[in-house]
Parts: sequence; structure tokens; C-alpha cells
Amino acid sequence: MATIEVQRQLLPILDNPNQGARFYNPELPSSEPFVPGHRTCAGCGPSIQYRMTSKAAGDNTILVGPTGCMYVANSSYLCTPYNVPWAHTQIGSAGSFTAGVAAAYEAMIRKGKWKGAYPNIICEAGDGSASDIGLASISGALYRNHDCLIICYDNEQYANTGIQASSRTPYGGMTTFSPPGPEVPEGKKLFPKDLARMMAAGHPHCYVATASVGYPIDLMNKVRKGLNHKGAAYLMIYTPCQKGFVYETPRSIDLGRLVVECGLYPIWEWNPEKRAFDYSFRPQSMRPVSEYLKLQGRFGHLHAEHIATLQKFANEQWRMMGVELPEPLLQAADAKNLVNMASAAEATAVAETV
Amino acid sequence: MATVTAAKKRTVRINGCVASAQAAKYADVDVIAAYPIRPYTATMMALAQMVANGELDAEYIVADSEHSQLSIAHGASSSGARVFTGSSGVGVQFAYELYSPISGSRMPVQMMIADRTLDPPGDFGSEHTDALSTRDMGWLMGWACDAQEAFDNHLMAFRIGEDRRVLLPQMVCQDGFFVSHITSDVELPDSGQVKEFLPPYKHPYPLDPRHPVSHGPQIMPEQGPPLQLERARAMEDSMAVIEEVHDEFAKIFGRRYDPWVEEFMTDGADVVFFMQGGHAVTARFAIQHMREKGLKVGLVRLRTIRPYPTDRVKDVLSKFKVVGVIETNMGLGSPSSGGVLYADACAALYESDKRPLVVSFMAGMGGEAIVLKEFYWMTEKMLEAQKRGKIEKRTHWVGFEE
Repeated sequence: MATIEVQRQLLPILDNPNQGARFYNPELPSSEPFVPGHRTCAGCGPSIQYRMTSKAAGDNTILVGPTGCMYVANSSYLCTPYNVPWAHTQIGSAGSFTAGVAAAYEAMIRKGKWKGAYPNIICEAGDGSASDIGLASISGALYRNHDCLIICYDNEQYANTGIQASSRTPYGGMTTFSPPGPEVPEGKKLFPKDLARMMAAGHPHCYVATASVGYPIDLMNKVRKGLNHKGAAYLMIYTPCQKGFVYETPRSIDLGRLVVECGLYPIWEWNPEKRAFDYSFRPQSMRPVSEYLKLQGRFGHLHAEHIATLQKFANEQWRMMGVELPEPLLQAADAKNLVNMASAAEATAVAETV
Repeated sequence: MATVTAAKKRTVRINGCVASAQAAKYADVDVIAAYPIRPYTATMMALAQMVANGELDAEYIVADSEHSQLSIAHGASSSGARVFTGSSGVGVQFAYELYSPISGSRMPVQMMIADRTLDPPGDFGSEHTDALSTRDMGWLMGWACDAQEAFDNHLMAFRIGEDRRVLLPQMVCQDGFFVSHITSDVELPDSGQVKEFLPPYKHPYPLDPRHPVSHGPQIMPEQGPPLQLERARAMEDSMAVIEEVHDEFAKIFGRRYDPWVEEFMTDGADVVFFMQGGHAVTARFAIQHMREKGLKVGLVRLRTIRPYPTDRVKDVLSKFKVVGVIETNMGLGSPSSGGVLYADACAALYESDKRPLVVSFMAGMGGEAIVLKEFYWMTEKMLEAQKRGKIEKRTHWVGFEE
């Protein structure tokens, strides 16, 4: 059969000499496929991520939006923030709908039914979609290696439905499905699913990476690397949610850095050619987890022992990254050296009244 | 694209599943979403081989579930590709979430159904409950009774669903095993005929970076009704297109089908069977035998159930004294406490000045064949009702009564 060769785009990687540093690179692309005027909350981490991602991708792009905040709060009938084609799909259809778009373009270009360079096909799935209900569909898309980028914008909860625990909600995180109370003082008892690592381990032919809105150039470069990779790519991006995390709205980017500096959100890349993790990303400083936790109301009920548990978890992450732990972080993993959250007593009283 | 250009008209002996695969190949589909479940699987097996042989240029995707199959189909159709998928039994239901979004976004996805009973208890046999449970989701839907009709229905459904006046998905159904796995002679057309009949798929608003559109944004409650009304109108408006396409099909391929109902030996009939699907083939034999004995019995076979041809069903069924609805589906707690076809037929007849008696027969359940003697028994029941001027009860479970 005579077929037409599919032409792919190649996006340039931005200069980023101090990847872990706390400053911006001003040379951002001017294109804005995701425009202002949508209805997301002030300081919304996912929408900050959305702007960076679509900026990095440019205009020859198709976006897929499974149900979640980035569907409900962004799009409203007869009013849309997307300057590129966008389609809603079901919350469990993240990977499968995206696979359908990718397959359609492969076939239509090959058969001469659509002319042009293969578009960037990006799925923006929340962590509820990506870690729970749409997990199989995303795994299917990665396994079959459709040329697309699947992003989990990770705000560590189902936020759109009113803050419920997902498999990405951290230990100790308060949500309406994991409230603290006298019998369950820590709130969420389970540790989050190690989603990005699952994707890298199970689909080693894919480009997989983690990123955070605290490091925009690193984030945008990973978007471009994922899109340039011929085949499927997966990004898990830390995107704080003001409404669910309960913090002061101007601090979204600060949290995006602190979560990395505290070791709770390791930033890494999986290199599919070398079949190896790249743990070279280093934040500018290392801090105890309490500095991250104390800014957020969702951790306001934690006792010293719970904070120590989270510090142990963070220390494990640092070790996994090959980082030698300084003495203060080892001590911070012992509850004897910690105090309860200032609001813990107050939080317990509030919980008891419910 | 050199897909089917060399094909000349020829007759082959194939089963319903392979006939469906052949139709997808003639339609030059771009994306195929497969997932295994008996008995429809044989269609996807045939298509996989066609792709492997280079006879069909399509993206063949082995999905991770039926939910993903339908989502893949939705995404691909939204991008402007012609899409083919299918399922059976509980697989049809695993994908349930997608039926309304696909018809609501007006994507003419085509789905082949080879019926299978639902669980419990894991019965392979044909029962129409799988597809019928989705009948109000905005999909065009109808049953074939043999492999040739299945092939023809697929081609016609693409043409109808992709028409700009319609833009609706289609469920092209056939009985599991009785049609899907029984071989018969099927005339495959010349590819030039198909080209003449079926223009390339072109959706007015695909996901195309050169003409950005947003599909399926969130709506306010007051924005819902106009969209629902549009979808309802598309379903109504499809009726004229369905008739047009059946005419055109007859002109090009030489096979004429009534789009709504097939009447068999209904001249002078007092009692008729009203049914859909493959058991109608047995019914025709049974009716011929009974006619030879002087019993005034006939057959009305429903070919399209969505959109429901209400006026046509009313006009046709009003000609008779007794109508026996053969269900082959489960409608637990339904108006007749039997299947779901009874209620639709009765609703159509309500406005008639000459309403026949209507009785429902639970036959062919679990994928059992409806054998000749069961047709004789059901005819007996209808004739008794005619004599009595009253039905004995609304629903008979055939084989469970004297």
C-alpha cells in the first residue's frame, strides 16, 4: 500500500543553566494556547501548569481534558480558554480518548486525508483520573506507545468534587474523605501511590518525568522532551490547590519549590534510551518537611509523630535520589525533636464537632 | 489509497462476523478499536488479519477494555477518522458511560454487536438485552437476520450516521451465533459501487489545529435542554435520511430493504409475530408450514428500533387481530413483566383506531434456538386469544408452560 510518511515536530529545549534555582528564564515563547479569563480559583496550581505546558507545546497542538478541575473550571459552554482544539472526555477515558486522537492522525496523515505535521497531542488528566479511575486507560496508551504526552496535573486530591482523597493524597492530608478525628488523628492513613515510577517501570520505552510548577523552565523543557520523544510520554506535575491545601493564594509557586526542597516530591527523569533514572536535579536547598506542612491548613491537625512519619518518608526519597542526608533531617524524623502543629489542638476540637 | 480498489463483485460463503469485517474493510475505516469477548471477537480477528495482510490500511488498536474501546472510538471520530468498534454481552455494558457522550458530541462512531446474554451466569448465547439496554442513548440501532443483511446494514449505517443531517453513532446488531457464526452466501460488491454509495467521512468540526474548536465544554443547567432537543431532533430527522439511503442502496447494489419492517406472508393474516433478528429466519419456515395447514399467521420483523418507526408499526400491526411480540431480551419488572419490545409496540398502537390484542413471548432466552414447535405453540396461543377476544396473560415464558 502506498502511504505518506508522517512528519513530526521538533521543539527546541530552553536554556536552563540553574535548573534548581529560584528564578525565571524570561525567554518564554510568546504563544498562549491557554488564555486568561477562565473560572479557576486564585492561585490555581493546575491552571498555572496548563499555561506553561501549552506555551511550551505551541499552536499545532490538540488538548484532551478528562473530567476534573481543568475541564469544569476552564470550559463553559460558549466560552472557552483554549486557542487550540480541545475535547472533554470521561474521567476514566484519559489515555483511551487520547489514543484515539493519536491513532486518527497517524491514519489520516498516512492515508492522505489530513495534510500537515503530526500535531502535539496532550492529555491533561488530574490525579484522580491518572492514579485511580483512568489508570488502566493511561497504561494502555503508554504500553501501545501512541505518539502523545499524558500529563497528570497532581493536586493530590479530587478537588473539583469538593476535596476528596485520591491515591495521590499524602499521608496526613486532610480531605473530606479523610478527615482527622479522635480515632484517626492523622486524617489520611495511607501513603500516596508512586504513580510516575509505576509508569516508568511498567512502560520503560516511554519518556517519563516528574516536575513542579515551582520550576517552570524545567517543567516546560520536560513537556518538550515528552513531545519530541517519538512515542508515548508521561509527566507527573506538582500543582498545589489553594482550596484543598488551604494556603495563602500568592504562595503557589513557593509551595511548588518547598515540596521539592523538603524531599516530598522528587524531581527526576526516566531516560528510555538508557533505560535509567536521572536523579541529577537538585533544589537550591534542603529543608525539613515541617517548613512545607506548616503553610497548609490540610496538615494543621498533625501531631509530632505524624510529622516525623512524613520526615521519614521524605528521607527515604532523598536516599533514593542518592542524596546524603544532613544531620538535622535525620533528627527531624524523630518525634522527640518535634512539636505538634500549632493548630493541632484547635483542629481536633473542630473535627469533634462534626 | 490501495485498500479495496481491486475488488470486483463476487459471492463468498462467510459468517455474520466476517461479513461485518468485510463491510468495515469496504468502508475503508481509519481506526479500529478491538477488545476480545465472544462472539463478536471473530469480526476483530478477521480485521486484524486484513490489516496484517495489507488489505486494509487502518490503525488497529487492541484496547485495555470496552470502556477504552469506545473512548478510543470517540477520540478518533472527534479527530475526523472513520471508526469501527464492536462488542457483545457484558462488554457492551462495560462501555456504557460512553454511549451518551458519543451521541451527544454527534460523532458517527460505528459499533458492531453480536448479541450475548448478560451475566449471570456467563452464558454465551444470544439475547438482545446487551444492545437494547443502550437503546435510549442516541444511537441508531437495528438488527440484521442474516450475514448478507448484516453486511448491507453496516454500509448503510455509515452513510446514514455520517450524513450532516444526522451525525449520530450507529449500533449495527446481529444475533450471536445464529447470525455471527453461521455461514451463508454473501455477495460482496465491487469497490466502485461502495465508492459511489459511501462518500469519505468529513465531520464539520473535527479536532484540527488549523480550525480550533472546543468539544464538550461544561454547561449551565439552562444550556442543557437546547442541546438535548437538538439530539432528539437529529434522531427524528434521521428517519427521512434512512429512507433515502435505503433507496439509494437498492439502486446501486440491487437489494431493496424496507428500512423499518419486513412483512412476511402477512396477506390475509389474523395473527402475526413481531420480532427482530435471526430467529425470524426460523419464523419464516414455521409460518410457511402453518400456512400450508391453513392457519392465518404471518411475520412482521422490525429492522430499525432506534429511531422507532412508531407510525409505521401502528399502521402495519393495526391490520391484524393478535400480535405476538417475541422478545429475546430481559425487561425485569417491565410493563409486561417480560421483555422491552412489548411496551414500544403497545405505545405505537395506542393511537390506533383498531388496536389488536398484544401478547409477549419470552423465547430464545439464554441463546436457545426458537424451534419450529415453539413457533407452532405460540401461534396456538395467539389463535386462542383471537377466538376468546382476550389474551390469557401478557407474557408467556415459552417452554415453561403447557
